[in-house]
Amino acid sequence: MKNVTDSCVFLVHWPSAGSFGFNTDILATNLINLSVVFGVLIFFGKGVCADNLLSLSDLLDNRKQRILNTIRNSEELRGKAIEQLEKARARLKKVEMEADQFRINGYSEIEREKMNLINSTYKTLEQLENYKNETINFEQQKAINEVRQQVFQQALQGALGTLNSCLNNELHLRTINANIGMFGAMNEITD
Amino acid sequence: MNVLSYSINTLKGLYDISGVEVGQHFYWQVGGFQIHGQVLITSWVVIAILLGSAALAVRSPQTIPTSGQNFFEYVLEFIRDVSKTQIGEEYRPWVPFIGTMFLFIFVSNWSGALLPWKIIQLPHGELAAPTNDINTTVALALLTSVAYFYAGLTKRGLGYFGKYIQPTPILLPINILEDFTKPLSLSFRLFGNILADELVVVVLVSLVPLVVPIPVMFLGLFTSGIQALIFATLAAAYIGESMEGHH
Repeated sequence: MKNVTDSCVFLVHWPSAGSFGFNTDILATNLINLSVVFGVLIFFGKGVCADNLLSLSDLLDNRKQRILNTIRNSEELRGKAIEQLEKARARLKKVEMEADQFRINGYSEIEREKMNLINSTYKTLEQLENYKNETINFEQQKAINEVRQQVFQQALQGALGTLNSCLNNELHLRTINANIGMFGAMNEITD
Repeated sequence: MNVLSYSINTLKGLYDISGVEVGQHFYWQVGGFQIHGQVLITSWVVIAILLGSAALAVRSPQTIPTSGQNFFEYVLEFIRDVSKTQIGEEYRPWVPFIGTMFLFIFVSNWSGALLPWKIIQLPHGELAAPTNDINTTVALALLTSVAYFYAGLTKRGLGYFGKYIQPTPILLPINILEDFTKPLSLSFRLFGNILADELVVVVLVSLVPLVVPIPVMFLGLFTSGIQALIFATLAAAYIGESMEGHH
């Protein structure tokens, strides 16, 4: 029974007999089979035979081609986009220039209109000033005339009153004589 | 007693002839832990292969990819497709995780099937694919668990736990159980498949050293690739499942 337990222990704990080293037995290390498997893998991997679907290198080539195509396409698209951008930029520049032109034209138009308006207003203003002055002159003249007429009338009335009040015969005669003498002198002068 | 010891002797003899070592490990003592050294060594080789080829591929990146870069971009596209179909719209942050899973498992499996590990002899055990060891696969599966919990919790907050009582609260035990069965099934599936592949090849080689193992080796390569894909796809599917909300 001891034997059994011993061998059990033996099975569990392998004695530390060996050490690191190389196994040179070709059959035990399975080298030939491994090299065959390796060779077949590389054969299929490299895709030596033309039309096999498993070939890794074909797969990778396809992938590379796909990437190349994608890059080429996107570069083409990029070129087109850049071209369009250039076109759009040129158009923008043109439109901007036109807008500037329009703006300048508009400004000068507005300026001219303003000057015209100012001038016409100025003229109107001047005319109104003239009218005003004339009216004032006229009014002044009228007032002066009125005052003059009134003063004259009063003087006349005064004179008439004076005449009517203190005109007696003697004075009447003297006045008539004086007037006749005056008229005679005037007649002499005119002759 | 005699019969027993005799049978044990025959067994030992058979064992020596077959030379198939299962469950033999090259133990390292790190702290209080026993570590399977052969797994670490092969893992490091796998990591070195991955990092080295990645470094080579991105050494001089070009707009029009040449061979190495092209291949790795193709791989990246493939991983991105897988994660996009499984996770959905917000797949982008998870591509590195899924990619790491897929590439590590794939290269591990294929290294086990293609590299002549047996040339190098260890004191105990033998070198094989890292995924040949249950510890590696369990670690990967637990990482996946952590990842989908993290994804769910960050996406939906505590509302994530609402999925446990959906569609009905009766399913609560089953839903909780699922969190344990997911990493279990992931790890056991990968481990079992890879171990079985390598065992079949080893047994066949010990019986008929030439030609006969070759088809099985190809089958092993195929299964290895499929297993890596399945692991990555399932990890992505779990992450996607925990991220999608039931509105």
